[in-house]
Amino acid sequence: MAPAGGDVLKSLNPLTKLAVCILWLAAAVLIFDPWFQCAVIVITGIVLIVLNRTSPLVILGLMVPFSLFGFGFLTTALLFRKESDFALRVAGETPFASAAFSASITLFLRAVSCGMISAFFALTTDPGAFVRALMVHCRLPPQIGYSLFTAMQLVPDLAAEAQQMRLARAMKLGRVPRRIPGPVEAFSLCVPLLAFAIRRAGRTAIAMEARGLAANAPRTVMNAPAFQERDFAFLSIAAASLTACIVAVMADRGLFPS
Amino acid sequence: MRSARPLPESAPVAEWQGVRVRYPFAKRQAVGPVDMDVKRGERVLLLGASGSGKSTLLLTLTGLVPRSIPAEVDGRVSLFGDDALSRKPSEWASCVAQYFQDADQTLCGMRVEDEIAFALENFALPPDKIDRAVTDAMRQLGLPESWRKRRSTALSGGERQLVALAATLVQDAAIFVADEPTAHLAPEAAERLHGLLTAHEPDRSVLIVDHRLDGLMEAIDRVVVLGNDGSILTQGHPRTIFREQREMLISFGIWCPAASELDAALVKAGVASPIPPLSLPEALEHLDPAVASRSSIDRARPAVEAFVAAHSANRGGERHSRVVARLEQADCAPFLAPTVLRSVDVAIHEGEILGIIGPNGAGKSTLGACLSGLLELKAGRRTGAPGGIAFQRPENQFVSGSVRDELLGALPKAMTGDEKTKRISGFLETWGLEGLESRHPFELSQGQKRRLALATLTISDRWPLLILDEPIAGLDARAASVLEAQVLEFSRKGRAIAVITHDMDLALRLCFRSVVVGEGCIIADGPTEQILSDPELLKRAGLAEPSCAKAREWLLRVAMC
Repeated sequence: MAPAGGDVLKSLNPLTKLAVCILWLAAAVLIFDPWFQCAVIVITGIVLIVLNRTSPLVILGLMVPFSLFGFGFLTTALLFRKESDFALRVAGETPFASAAFSASITLFLRAVSCGMISAFFALTTDPGAFVRALMVHCRLPPQIGYSLFTAMQLVPDLAAEAQQMRLARAMKLGRVPRRIPGPVEAFSLCVPLLAFAIRRAGRTAIAMEARGLAANAPRTVMNAPAFQERDFAFLSIAAASLTACIVAVMADRGLFPS
Repeated sequence: MRSARPLPESAPVAEWQGVRVRYPFAKRQAVGPVDMDVKRGERVLLLGASGSGKSTLLLTLTGLVPRSIPAEVDGRVSLFGDDALSRKPSEWASCVAQYFQDADQTLCGMRVEDEIAFALENFALPPDKIDRAVTDAMRQLGLPESWRKRRSTALSGGERQLVALAATLVQDAAIFVADEPTAHLAPEAAERLHGLLTAHEPDRSVLIVDHRLDGLMEAIDRVVVLGNDGSILTQGHPRTIFREQREMLISFGIWCPAASELDAALVKAGVASPIPPLSLPEALEHLDPAVASRSSIDRARPAVEAFVAAHSANRGGERHSRVVARLEQADCAPFLAPTVLRSVDVAIHEGEILGIIGPNGAGKSTLGACLSGLLELKAGRRTGAPGGIAFQRPENQFVSGSVRDELLGALPKAMTGDEKTKRISGFLETWGLEGLESRHPFELSQGQKRRLALATLTISDRWPLLILDEPIAGLDARAASVLEAQVLEFSRKGRAIAVITHDMDLALRLCFRSVVVGEGCIIADGPTEQILSDPELLKRAGLAEPSCAKAREWLLRVAMC
């Protein structure tokens, strides 16, 4: 049965998506070109919005930390130009007018494009399915697989716990909690959340052990994603798109003989 | 997968011999000395006040204490004749299914179907068999198919408990160990679970810790009672224990079934059942108005009337004139989540105790948080004073490093040091937390954590409105009775209190009025007594009649004769 509109990307084998993401990440890291980075951001964004029905606001929200990270690169590159000689030299060959600005903006865009590719994988992949795929197709030991699973679940679990803590604290302060915590509130949550993360990891380990998870014991893996035709189609389209982007960049730089 | 070795028919499947447990840095033992056993096919109920070491004792069974949770353990724990420590805890999973006190300790955060299948995957069963077992377990516990792909952490507290139970029951192990499996379950789900746990299977032993005894007792073969020092106080058949040692159990703050309360009153009246009863119908069977003598009925009637009165709606909680908080045409949603309740109209008055009841996952906690003003409404209007909430998970409320600091932080800054010390000492005593002042809140037992959360909320007069979310889950009888007395006292002082509960007896005793939440709205609002005597409404909302309903029926039949 064909997957429903919003489930197209979720129905793909996580390993296919991982391979595609690694390929695109490698390209984003190696190709120091602002137009290429823009293309990665736009293509990934459109795919998420159209095929995964992700809200543009969610994407923008997720890009905030990557943008801040990229902004760090941007300011560093602008303020310490001498140290960025190589980057400036490469960026100088791009159409951006000022070499310093061009290099800075490329570094900024690269951080965001890497963030978009990571968000693409995280938003379209069920951590459980990913771990199962690794255990079945890559022979990952179950104990490592489920440790990875727990680590992947930590972010949403911490977010849920933080919400509960914020509610309790807001009650004590006698006000409605703000949608986004301020810096003081965020900082004050760090230690309790760290304590929660440690407790949660301990509890999960005990829960798994009590239910029979052991090292080196044979086990069945249910609902492990298989490779299907749509995986090969996705891989081909992603590789073709990437090649087209690279060719466009090379053509733009005049690397093809006329 | 290793299985248990065959044992003689009479040999115990689990045995504790002189077991004592002490956690690192603890001043006293958590458990012990304990000598007890569980025989093949036997169903044992472990009772004790909160903090008496019941959960620790269960954790020693497969060696989780001390192998995974560090502790000093003396004595010997045997499973199927072997030392429990001779294998890793994971190797006992095929023989022992363990449901922990907190559903989050049993679940691993996967999707529902993966959670349920997890243990069977570890047993390397064939996929088609696992698939069938998962479907059966979901059907048995009434889990809708639509939950299969949902993450267990996205469910409500009661829903998570149901999934954790399905994940444990699916193991089909020779010993089923359950630590407070019905604490957050709606009555219908709790009844279904009791049925599953106690279905007579000659080869399956059950060891259960539960405070919700009505509906469970008929299937229990033996009761073991732990004292406050972690050693065994008494043990025996429930009929004997609850008639002969009821006073002692009450003095230790241990729950007794409602039938034993009526039985004690009938014993005093000299018309008790010849066989100690385990349920209300059993307690009144020999007093059937159609066959019993008039004199017996006349002697029994005052006792039954007093029993019904003690379990009936508290008139003091009747609504007063001034509204403390009101929701009008409110659409309610959890924090940063979609709407779960629409067009809610509800008001709570000064001195009123309002019950909020309904099935698991109906949105009761969300309604409570919106009523308190803590959550913004998606639509509609809220007016009135802000309310304080005792959250379902008490851990969420703690921000300090010790019990004393937690209480200190809840007191008004303007209060003098002496006043604060005096108030804290009084509250520590009231809530049974003496001696725990310097402990970190997270080190307490579940019952102690709940008591501390309630104490921090009520220690100041700050809140004119209190929302108590499942306040007696995990509490022992003494703490529950302290809580009830406090709630009545707050009501007398004019505070408004909303009690979110799955305990119909508590709702009836405390709340003159209740709202029933379900189907995305409020489906009933009226006197609790009226709501709980409407069979159609109870069925629709997955609720059950309170334990005194059979006694009330008996009184009606007597009146008609």
